[in-house]
Amino acid sequence: MSDNIFNNCENLEIKIEQGIIWVYFKLTSGKSLTTLTEKSLSDLKDFLTKLTPIQKDYKGLIFSSHVEGCFLAGMDIDVIASLNSLSVAQEGTEAGQKIFNMIDDLTIPTMAMVDGVCLGGGLELSLACKKIVASDSSKTRLGLPEVMLGVLPGFGGTYRMPKKIGLINSLDLLLTGKHLDAKKALKLGLIDGICPRERFSIYAEKFLFAKKEKTMLENLKIFASENLLVQKLALQKAKEKVFKQTKGFYPAPLRILEHLEKSIGRNRREWLASESLSFAELSQTIQSKSLLNVFHLTDAVKKDKKQNEVVKIQRSAVLGAGTMGGGIAWLMADHNQNPIMKDIAKTSLELGLKQASQNFKSALKRRKISEDVYAKKMFSITPTLDFTEFKSVQLVVEAIVEDMSVKKKVLADLESKVLEDCIITSNTSSLSIGEMSTSLQHSERFAGLHFFNPVNRMPLIEIITHPKTSPKTIASLYQWCLQVKKTPIVVKDGPGFLVNRILATYLNEASYMLMEGVSISHIEQTALEFGMPMGPFRLMDEVGLDVSGKVAKILHDGLGERFRPAPLSELLLGKGWLGKKNGKGFYLYGNGSSNGGSKDQNTLNPELQSLLTNQTKKMTAQDTLNRMMLPMINEASYILQEGIVANAEVVDTGMIYGIGFPPFRGGLLWYADRVGHHRLKEWFETLSKDVDQTRFKMSDYLTNIISKQSRFYP
Amino acid sequence: MSQRPVYIVAAKRTPQVKSGSELKDVAAPFLGHYLIRQMVSEFNISDVDEVIVGNTGTPAKYANVARVVGLEAGLDKKTSCYSVHRNCASGMEAISQGFDKISLGRSSVIFAGGVENMTQMPLIYGKKMTDLFAKLMRAKTPGDRIKAIMAFRPNFLKPIVAIEQGLTDPFCGKNMGQTAELLAKELNITRKEQDEFADWSHKKAVAAQKAARFKDEIIPIIYGEDRNRILDTDVGPRDNSSVESLSKMKPYFEPGTGTVTIGNSCPITDGGAMVLLADEATMKKNHWTPMARIVEYHFHGLEPERMGMGPLLAMHGALARAGKKMSDMDLIEVNEAFAAQALAVMMACKDSKISSRWGINETVGEIARDKINVNGGAIALGHPVGCSGARIIVTLAHEMQKRKVKTGIASLCIGGGQGGAMIIERV
Repeated sequence: MSDNIFNNCENLEIKIEQGIIWVYFKLTSGKSLTTLTEKSLSDLKDFLTKLTPIQKDYKGLIFSSHVEGCFLAGMDIDVIASLNSLSVAQEGTEAGQKIFNMIDDLTIPTMAMVDGVCLGGGLELSLACKKIVASDSSKTRLGLPEVMLGVLPGFGGTYRMPKKIGLINSLDLLLTGKHLDAKKALKLGLIDGICPRERFSIYAEKFLFAKKEKTMLENLKIFASENLLVQKLALQKAKEKVFKQTKGFYPAPLRILEHLEKSIGRNRREWLASESLSFAELSQTIQSKSLLNVFHLTDAVKKDKKQNEVVKIQRSAVLGAGTMGGGIAWLMADHNQNPIMKDIAKTSLELGLKQASQNFKSALKRRKISEDVYAKKMFSITPTLDFTEFKSVQLVVEAIVEDMSVKKKVLADLESKVLEDCIITSNTSSLSIGEMSTSLQHSERFAGLHFFNPVNRMPLIEIITHPKTSPKTIASLYQWCLQVKKTPIVVKDGPGFLVNRILATYLNEASYMLMEGVSISHIEQTALEFGMPMGPFRLMDEVGLDVSGKVAKILHDGLGERFRPAPLSELLLGKGWLGKKNGKGFYLYGNGSSNGGSKDQNTLNPELQSLLTNQTKKMTAQDTLNRMMLPMINEASYILQEGIVANAEVVDTGMIYGIGFPPFRGGLLWYADRVGHHRLKEWFETLSKDVDQTRFKMSDYLTNIISKQSRFYP
Repeated sequence: MSQRPVYIVAAKRTPQVKSGSELKDVAAPFLGHYLIRQMVSEFNISDVDEVIVGNTGTPAKYANVARVVGLEAGLDKKTSCYSVHRNCASGMEAISQGFDKISLGRSSVIFAGGVENMTQMPLIYGKKMTDLFAKLMRAKTPGDRIKAIMAFRPNFLKPIVAIEQGLTDPFCGKNMGQTAELLAKELNITRKEQDEFADWSHKKAVAAQKAARFKDEIIPIIYGEDRNRILDTDVGPRDNSSVESLSKMKPYFEPGTGTVTIGNSCPITDGGAMVLLADEATMKKNHWTPMARIVEYHFHGLEPERMGMGPLLAMHGALARAGKKMSDMDLIEVNEAFAAQALAVMMACKDSKISSRWGINETVGEIARDKINVNGGAIALGHPVGCSGARIIVTLAHEMQKRKVKTGIASLCIGGGQGGAMIIERV
């Protein structure tokens, strides 16, 4: 036996130790994770072709990786993005399937020794081995996340996963794309053992040659669950669940179920043929391409590591213990910031604690945290009425009442209580950060930090800069947001910042339509069918009509006539209806409390009708949608024109993570690009003629894009 | 003995609450960690040499409570932390050890104090049940197992209440209330005197609360099952206390003929207290202003069945070590385990005929009524066993600041037959 048979190649390192072949995946230059590339797949193919005829000379084959914390993060995302036709996609998956079949068909013992990330193609490769052993590292994650990109595992994953852990167990993993840690994977039978990474080489042989016989109980379980009847039933149930959760917007999970249903009981060849066809077809859907864009957006946020010097924020504080203050304190406590929560009354502090406690309790209920951790996290919060401990914080978030003069006073006072390098921020949703900054001696350390409500569910944070905000401050806040697992975007100061400014045009246009006599349910339905998480009127109720009215006024004052508010909210506010918070708005909410139940929440406010003209105006869904989407697209183009954010990608990140703009649409401007300049032009022209000249007048930026027949995205 | 001066830089405590109520869900370490956290932030302390915490009910989960207190407070992992146990004086023991270490030059910055959650003291299986479990664990065959289980009798399940056992002296067999009864009998302390003393303690504590006397020493604490409430004041002191209502209570430890009632004893309590100790160099370097300097301390043993007289011996010893007289003391804290016990100490201090029974032939010195427990004592404020030794020093240090007086002494009786005392001086 000599090492020379397998020339080491660029992407694989092959070593033979005591008759066992070790294949290590290497890092492709410039990447931080090991991935499967076309190159590494072809290296793998060459190796397996050489090995197969002489495999008897070796005792076994082990796949592993030299990169700590990463076995294989799956297929390189750029490869998936490059699949620009059905046939390319199908050929690609078939080629991959063949290589993994070669592993599957080896007769010698084969094993994957996994440390860290083992996802997608990485897990499919591991499944082609006879055994998988994973390290006990906290980084170890196994899963098939393809569904999140709108496709399915195309290298035999849909075939080998059910074979290994049963169809019913596989469904959850295939349909949600969720990751398992080593312990859960072992319990499910996805892996065959757990071994510390440091001892891989010592225990490799033991695991490789261990014989595993199923116990009687396991056999019984298999018999009970893996029969056709139970499987069909499970598929049916899964289909109902998927439909309920995705409302049919996402084709991938449904296609996965369809493919599995067709393939049960078939042989490998047939099963894999169905898999590659399903993959290829899904890969060409607009939804998959949009989800890929969302992946890129998210990735860009994480990678945006400004090389600036940053303030390391170890402890932070929040001023004001309202719903937002409590939520922010929760976030800080959840990420070990030992937060200080200051307010001016004990009762307010208790409200803030209640908010934080509720958030932790919901994690406790879902068993995400233990009772001990819950208590510990709550005790890590310091509720206080004074500034005693403020010299120990590096970040303060002001979340008090939305009143400029009060805020300025509080900020000026705060500055005298903190150390020089402490970053001061305001969580205002509508007031000018620039004006607020004038209350500070060192305004370079000041910025807006706009959280969205509820803090525990909304991933976005807008970092609002004013002209004097220092790069160090911005970089520090950006890093902090990532540290507390939020999605930051950097936005220049201006009325409504980014998200609320764009959102307001949507809410306002919906209001105008309602006043023109279009029915509320038609408008809501159109928004929902587009994929928005809730209709515009429901959203106004949630935000509070007083709040959205106030924001509308600020925008109108700041940005001019295209923001002239429809007189609708005035009508409702005149009746004293504030929306969900006092039980009455466009909808009715059970007794003003949360025990209304979902049924109540669907009840339109019957008194609303008397305020409105007869809701008899008929509009097509497309026209209704255009009325709501076009003002948003236009406003986004104004924002780009003014340089409020860096580019279209930031706008879309904000829209997806700030208001839940449907991910399968890829983002607002991604969607606009798909609509195309041609139709956009036509639609804008019609609406400015038929509806309103001011509101549907295209920005120069947009006019320019359309005349150049260009796009928002590069 | 040449000593380096040891300063109390800051002194803080939790509100104290009768067990089973507000603080029942706050495990012992969390009665201390946030006190340290605040002091660290306030004084911007980067290096702490040691955390010493008194605690008697050692929770099974937190075998070394001090370590958990230190880490949860956010102190560096390199910080040395240990717990001490000297029954009722555990908190004072912690401070005395901190004093020794700094005064010898071994350490510069120490947090010392005590925490006790008496609500969470456990119920324990008896020996018979424990033996049964042990047999069951050792059983190898199903037959052995059945045999072990067959030995079970329902009365094995009768729990032993840890707190009850802890408050009973294992040497003389008397519980703490009975030791107080013994002193009352031997020194002729009447029921009425005891009730008046208890009422006086409540009156002083209520007045102190009304005058916000405790505001500077208490840091509000998060409590409640949902951890969404804030407690900022002691719950014990009774505004409606009266000698008459106290006189209606039945003797608890000696039914029928006794004098010690729940009303003239301290309640079982949850709470924590912590002081920041530092040496001169650290004080100067950080420009800290100290609250007080620790002058001396003394611990002394006596017969367990008369443990309540411990403060007599401890104060006598501490005063002798410091070369001071009782009359030099501007304020005096004597922990009120029982009214009878506190009264006994007061009697013995001014009467050498009594103190000579414990080998002190001279008069220790009268404890003036306007100097003792001026803001009320444990009968009103409660006695979280492992914490009280530190609590009375916290309260003493703050009151000395407020009154701008020079010297004070704090002392407690210790279950098992000891006394502890510490003298501090405002600087």
